[in-house]
Amino acid sequence: MRRIVLVSLTVAFLTGIALAPLTWAQQQPPPAWQQGRPPELATSPLAPHATPPTPKPAKDIPVDKAKLPPGFKLEVWADMLPNARTMAWGDKGTLFVGTRAAGAVYAVVDKGGKREVKTIARGLTQPSGLAFRDNALYVAEIPRLLKFENIEANLDNPAAPKVVYEYPKEAHHNWRYLAFGPDGKLYFNMGAPCNICMPPETHANISRVNADGTGFEYFARGVRNSVGFDWHPVSKELYFTNHGRDWMGDDVPNDTFHHAPRPGLHFGFPYCHQGDVADPDFGKGNLCSVFAPPLLKLGPHVAAMGVRFYTGSMFPAEYQNKAFIAQKGSWNRTQKTGFRVMTVTLAPGKEPKYEVFADGFLQGEQFWARPTYIQWMPDGSMLLSDDYNGAIYRISYRR
Amino acid sequence: MSPMWRWRWGLGALPLAAALSMLVAATAPAADPDAGRRKAERCAACHGADGNATIPGTPSLASMPVFYTHWQLIMFRDGRRRSEPPKTALVQNLTDEDMADLSAYYAAQPSRGRSSPSDAALIAAARPLAEAHHCISCHGPNLMGQQQVPRLAGQDLDYLLKRLQGYKARTTSDLDGMMTMVAQSLTEGDIEILARCFAGLDAAGAGQSPGRGLR
Repeated sequence: MRRIVLVSLTVAFLTGIALAPLTWAQQQPPPAWQQGRPPELATSPLAPHATPPTPKPAKDIPVDKAKLPPGFKLEVWADMLPNARTMAWGDKGTLFVGTRAAGAVYAVVDKGGKREVKTIARGLTQPSGLAFRDNALYVAEIPRLLKFENIEANLDNPAAPKVVYEYPKEAHHNWRYLAFGPDGKLYFNMGAPCNICMPPETHANISRVNADGTGFEYFARGVRNSVGFDWHPVSKELYFTNHGRDWMGDDVPNDTFHHAPRPGLHFGFPYCHQGDVADPDFGKGNLCSVFAPPLLKLGPHVAAMGVRFYTGSMFPAEYQNKAFIAQKGSWNRTQKTGFRVMTVTLAPGKEPKYEVFADGFLQGEQFWARPTYIQWMPDGSMLLSDDYNGAIYRISYRR
Repeated sequence: MSPMWRWRWGLGALPLAAALSMLVAATAPAADPDAGRRKAERCAACHGADGNATIPGTPSLASMPVFYTHWQLIMFRDGRRRSEPPKTALVQNLTDEDMADLSAYYAAQPSRGRSSPSDAALIAAARPLAEAHHCISCHGPNLMGQQQVPRLAGQDLDYLLKRLQGYKARTTSDLDGMMTMVAQSLTEGDIEILARCFAGLDAAGAGQSPGRGLR
């Protein structure tokens, strides 16, 4: 009898929630992934894909399902790296690997064809930004930029890192990408602390700082969330990917690819998305033409992540200076998209050419991998990380 | 001038139930709940042999979603989450496989409520708060949790109070910063009402099968 009462009270609780009239004054911000969702999409089942805490061993990853151009091959290069994301080479051939939720930084050492994985840091707050210079590994976690000096000589017993710079502490969209620019400064993103809102001045930008933490400057503004950027091998100018907002429907806005040839440009967030779509709340009266448009629309909700220009000698000559973009794949779309590696070919006076390089990671509505970041090996092959399986693939070419 | 946070609302609890069961997750290497039962013997003194703890302030683990238990073991191992008594030494040597086995074992155990059932008045007081703070958006329409989000229904009251107070004070660990953000707008009174109500909700009886909520 008591059990029936319990169950019926629980049902009453739930029904009450379903039917309770909503009062403006009582409402608090919804979970970050729901913020900006309009009433007509209230019953949408879409939600971000949870990161598995366990990595998938190589034997369970169906790499034969990957599709590549003729002559290219994909295989597992290293596995059992939970949540592997960004990759940075040390001077002595160590590959450092950053993560997000797992809070760890790994060091992968190649011992005669077998990859040995060490964990050099644990318990950090989403340490996804990695860069290496002059014997030191720089790690950008959410609240701080850390420097591990002389790390390659001490992989088994790393010393405590120095704090080089302190970031704003908001977690949302502030897992970072970090890279040294041609000017020797460290570039990183500060993502918007929301899906859609008026960001404070400190957010929704790409910024830079000297390696010692001095000389902070904003570089590009109105950038909702860029977690990948690179400099063109010839022009040395900055190109970056950007994640468009959610909850405006399946096909709008696109994730975008941008060119920032000089500091001080504003790329539209929150007023204008993808260069030509005014935000329903913030876009009134602001013409999209005021802002710097994207170079290319990449597809809606594809989750554009790492971007790198190819400068190696293994791939055929036509790949020189092409930008490769890894796309983790969508959650805010009823039919999944992304889950692939694309190339962008830039030529002066011509429209950018946008083509598929590697796909097959999405089979129908099921995915078996999420391409995340790209790094080049000294021999010109590609390392491709997968933060869902906790693995790094190698894509190589043979005529 | 628009406020920095622009809030939207409108979520139907009942369709959300169906929606959450459609959420997909990776198929991790098959965890072994029987091995997990053996490995959980050393946890039993505090968490109960079947994951139903009886010590006030110590959480029950029975019927806890697999990803939640596993991620929290990682957080304890890495020192990102602390407990009294300190947990880190106890979990330092757990492998990924150990954590997966333990999580699968606990997820399959039926949970028993720890408090007297919430009465209609308490539920009526908690309902608008749970709606306003979007608890069921992540914790599910039954407050049974899903993926990396914990079960709240039938959990120990002292434990729920401690966690919510800690999130508000920013002294409690947080896997992704979400609960710290949520708790900032909770008053002490809100925390009391929500914790009391959830502690007295029926925790559904049956355990969460390892396949629940998976693709």
